[in-house]
Amino acid sequence: MLAAYFNSLHEAVNRRMALVLAGVAVLVAGTFWWIVQLKPLPDGTSMIFLGTNFLGPATLAVPSVFGAEIQQTGVLWLLLAIFAAAPLLTSALEKGWIELTLSKGTSRWKIFLGRFLGGVTLYFVTFLLATFPVALRLWWKTGVGPGPLAIALLIQTLSFAALLSVVALATLPQKGMALPVMAAVAVWFFSPSLARRQQSYYSFFTSHVSRGILEWIYRILPKCSELESMCFAYIRDGKIATWWPFWSTGIFAAAMLGLSLCLLQRKSF
Amino acid sequence: MNPAIETHDLQKAYRTLMRRKPVPALQGVSLRVEPGTIFGLIGQNGAGKTTLVKILLGLSRPTSGSARLLGGSPGDSASRRRIGYLPEQMRIPEYMKAKSFLHYMGRLNGVNSNTMKQRVPELLEKVGLAGVNKPVKSYSKGMQQRLGLAQALLNDPEVLFLDEPTDGLDPLGRKDVRDLLVSLRAVGKTVFLNSHLLSEIEMVCDHIVILNRGQVACAATPAEFTRGTGEYLVRVAVATDAVRAAAAEVLGASNGNGVRGNASNTTKAGWTENTLRFAPRDREQLNALIDRLRSAQAEIDSVEPVRLSLEQFFLQVVGAQE
Repeated sequence: MLAAYFNSLHEAVNRRMALVLAGVAVLVAGTFWWIVQLKPLPDGTSMIFLGTNFLGPATLAVPSVFGAEIQQTGVLWLLLAIFAAAPLLTSALEKGWIELTLSKGTSRWKIFLGRFLGGVTLYFVTFLLATFPVALRLWWKTGVGPGPLAIALLIQTLSFAALLSVVALATLPQKGMALPVMAAVAVWFFSPSLARRQQSYYSFFTSHVSRGILEWIYRILPKCSELESMCFAYIRDGKIATWWPFWSTGIFAAAMLGLSLCLLQRKSF
Repeated sequence: MNPAIETHDLQKAYRTLMRRKPVPALQGVSLRVEPGTIFGLIGQNGAGKTTLVKILLGLSRPTSGSARLLGGSPGDSASRRRIGYLPEQMRIPEYMKAKSFLHYMGRLNGVNSNTMKQRVPELLEKVGLAGVNKPVKSYSKGMQQRLGLAQALLNDPEVLFLDEPTDGLDPLGRKDVRDLLVSLRAVGKTVFLNSHLLSEIEMVCDHIVILNRGQVACAATPAEFTRGTGEYLVRVAVATDAVRAAAAEVLGASNGNGVRGNASNTTKAGWTENTLRFAPRDREQLNALIDRLRSAQAEIDSVEPVRLSLEQFFLQVVGAQE
């Protein structure tokens, strides 16, 4: 599995996907570095500005900066990374290559799981690169640590893993990466409206049965929207009211990935 | 001794969304490949050769029947670590270089890094790619094929599956591959060769199976396939009228240009310029003909039995079943 994992990272770099993401991450980090300004006060504390907006003293303003980072880059990074990571899974199943890799003495599921983890790593590392430099600078200057941001990144990474597991499953029955990417983006796209299903859909789905189906769809699908809210809440308050979106998204990702690996094991090439 | 490869009544049918009836690819294929031999599999396009190889490699599942590879199941990782495979349509990611590709293939096959440090340069030297340090996208078809061969040999496999191994290679490269196969056999390795180039199969294989429409149409050794037809070719320096008359005297009645024996003498004979092709009743008649030709002052260049080439035999077998 490690061989497939490192090969996927090698591929991500050589196919420029990782380099493009890293380039955008540096750009994002540079932008935040530039717009977040610290004004030291005579008593040794600092005031923080986001551009021209005054955020307040460091202890209060640092979480706001973290929140702004997640808000500005979270969605962008999910979508960019899906486009970048999907080829790592689809290319593993290309004719002429899969015969070579699957005829070796490593189980199919290990190869596929290694590449999946490579995709997740690609997301996490580049997202870290985009958001953490400013957090480290603030830590250095104000003493307010980046712990909440790190937790938020991990929560967001779970959200990405769930979307990538959709890509993994959609990759198996067909060739190409258009359908897997569309499936993952669709799941992400409907996530906010499903979270607010009473307001979004109940006026269209009036029967008890259709609303029940809608409820189940919501329960099953990953809760990207709620996970993002969880991140903000954790950064702001340091605690999370309910872990339900986290666990249910985790179960979804594990189930989709497990199903993908199971189908891959049984598939004839 | 346990066979390296064994299949019993192997059946494979493909189901498609468009067709109700499954399409049979293999229909009851039973074969046995002994260790230390080169086994050749031939057949038309769509005969089921690649399907058979894929089942033996665990890439595809049979609909029914069984397959054993080195005594284990083809789907078993431990069995697969003991084999090498060169697919027909190999596609190596373009960004890879020869060394990184071989290292990845080796790691997937559980080859430890110390062994790889030694084996990779050796194999690159062996296949003529030593010192080539550019991405695979700039390789010619022949170079890719050589690299594919190197990866198949990386784990020092006991059984080597080669699907069209000389595809894209120049004549010298083809000879190198043939020599390599023979040298592998000499050290006890088993080679399962799938090729359209019948002359190659004929040259190196110990056993050959012709697959036709998913069934074993014929299985034998190359010598059995290319056995004599019972006919002989006698070449003389100049086929004068006297020489032709002498031949007709031994073989039967003359019909002018050629000789045509009656039913009791010979079945068939005929001249093409200075060459007489005929099927003698027995060795005595063959010797009598030579004696008679010599007495007619004929200068005999050669006397040789007519043998079927594997290609002719293949066409006969496949043609008969069409």
